[in-house]
Amino acid sequence: MATEVESSLELSLSTSGTEPGTLPPPRSRIFKIIVIGDSNVGKTCLTFRFCAGRFPTRTEATIGVDFRERAVAIDGERIKIQLWDTAGQERFRKSMVQHYYRNVHAVVFVYDMTNIASFHSLPLWIEECKQHLFTNDIPRILVGNKCDLRSAIQVPTDMAQKFADTHSMPLFETSAKNPDDNDHVEAIFMTLAHKLKSHKPLMLNQPPNHSTVQLEAEPKPTMTCWC
Amino acid sequence: MALPRPPPNDHGRRDCDSKKKRKEAEIYQALNSEPIDVAALRRMAISEGGLLMDEIRCKVWPKLLNVNTEDLPPPPGKELREDNKDYQQVLLDVRRSLRRFPPGMPDEQREGLQEELIDSILQVLQRNPQLHYYQGYHDIVVTFLLVVGERLATVLVEKLSTHHLRDFMDPTMDNTKHILNYLMPIIDQVNPELHDFMQRAEVGTIFALSWLITWFGHVLSDFRHVVRLYDFFLACHPLMPIYFAAVIVLYRAEEVLACECDMASVHHLLSQIPQDLPYETLISRAGDLFVQFPPSELAREAAQQQAERTAASTFKDFELASAQQRPDTVLRQRFRERLRAEERAKALLTTKPRTNRFVKLAVMGLTVALGAAALAVVKSALEWAPKFELQIFP
Ligand SMILES: Nc1nc2c(ncn2[C@@H]2O[C@H](COP(=O)(O)OP(=O)(O)OP(=O)(O)O)[C@@H](O)[C@H]2O)c(=O)[nH]1
Ligand SMILES: [Mg+2]
Repeated sequence: MATEVESSLELSLSTSGTEPGTLPPPRSRIFKIIVIGDSNVGKTCLTFRFCAGRFPTRTEATIGVDFRERAVAIDGERIKIQLWDTAGQERFRKSMVQHYYRNVHAVVFVYDMTNIASFHSLPLWIEECKQHLFTNDIPRILVGNKCDLRSAIQVPTDMAQKFADTHSMPLFETSAKNPDDNDHVEAIFMTLAHKLKSHKPLMLNQPPNHSTVQLEAEPKPTMTCWC
Repeated sequence: MALPRPPPNDHGRRDCDSKKKRKEAEIYQALNSEPIDVAALRRMAISEGGLLMDEIRCKVWPKLLNVNTEDLPPPPGKELREDNKDYQQVLLDVRRSLRRFPPGMPDEQREGLQEELIDSILQVLQRNPQLHYYQGYHDIVVTFLLVVGERLATVLVEKLSTHHLRDFMDPTMDNTKHILNYLMPIIDQVNPELHDFMQRAEVGTIFALSWLITWFGHVLSDFRHVVRLYDFFLACHPLMPIYFAAVIVLYRAEEVLACECDMASVHHLLSQIPQDLPYETLISRAGDLFVQFPPSELAREAAQQQAERTAASTFKDFELASAQQRPDTVLRQRFRERLRAEERAKALLTTKPRTNRFVKLAVMGLTVALGAAALAVVKSALEWAPKFELQIFP
């Protein structure tokens, strides 16, 4: 599995045009992550939060595919995380979005914890993703968003966890909005980046009050919402 | 490529004012003539400044779409929102569309308009079950709502949806994709280097998707620019927005070529549309391009794009689409007629089509004045319009 991912990462390095034989200039590796899920689940807010560090004052429907990027340092290495924020409406994903599955290193599935329908759509998204990706080895994670709306939750954690287990994905419940969760959205994407970088089990320190989460290939951590 | 702007002195302003006054008078003259001079109105909508103000747009837009403003449908009843499959999506999109309303507008007024927007959209969808809502459609409807008010907006948008926007409102976006396939061939005609660079970057055409299906309403923040473009598009062929998209990319050629040749960089650059584009210049360039490389000439390349990408039998798909009653049908018929004509021409004189193009180019070189270029567009719009009008005007 590790070699698969590694080679696809190499691909984005080699496309930047360095000649074989010559020493490439030190340039950052790129991790390309696609974010998918139903309309209104908060894909734009989550990606914005990670790249701009705050909840956007307002979002509009995403038409087609938007792109956001942020440079991070992991173990001293500069890495560019590219997030491809896709449109949620079904008609777009059918014929438009497939171009953007090309060379992705990871997939983030998002549902809205306050909207059970968005959870029920997940099998469709997963199936579609399978069709576009050539390999099953691409890291995938499941994110339940809007956990700040506590009284409106429709998707219980154990149900989501069971689903995540069946599909061997780690589950994270979070909020793009809650100002107290400052580092949580960040932690999710960074966890993914770490995983992409090292392909080794890793210990990730969560923001205060939260148990340490272990992310490995096999175990499926629960990341319960604390808000 | 930017136009040298004359210094803003009083003299220039007075000049501009009197030009505007003159145009206004001409528009009213066309409106008041018996029968209404729609060709002149088309010309006004395309040429510099477009229809000048919303008050005029309220009168001229219905004429450009041949909508009768006397008999407007009754306001919708309550049941409208109850059984509509698209209601939820429309609601989500309209609620998030705050940016489309004038910044200073009081919340209460805006919320009222948002309700009207929802009703308008649902009414069109309810009366035309063959039409499917897409995210971005609300960006088009809001423009009409803000200019002409709810009841007229509904009828105008209904006409537009069954014609100019028809392809976007299919159950799938295959036809929309087909239209996007015109983008690269147009760029190729004008700037092959840019075209090749973009192909190498594998940027695709999705960066232009929201431009096309919202007529730029989704990406331009200044409402005056949006309505100016709507004047232009309403007066022209339904494929004009894709020519305008190409013109924007061409205008930014240097920036694109200076960018890293990869999908992310180019997509990112192009999808951030500059807000200070020289709209009048670009409109006239789009018109020029349309005349030089009409859709019929590009149809084959556009179809090839598709074939290369999906390896599907697109010509079949092409035929299927043309069997339906669309504005595009006319193009495709013309494409076939032209193919036949071209074959005949080739038999006589192999270089004829090329020569033609160069002659056209030379003429374009002379028509620096915006008005003249606009005229050329109108001429070709009219050449196409009678057939189109057969569909619009039953
Ligand atoms: N309370 C709360 N609201 C959120 C959160 N994340 C997003 N929202 C709201 O949910 C709505 C949808 O968010 P978007 O990010 O635009 O949704 P999207 O998934 O990008 O939707 P599409 O672009 O249509 O596919 C917006 O009104 C946000 O303000 C969250 O964590 N908590
Ligand atoms: Mg979005």
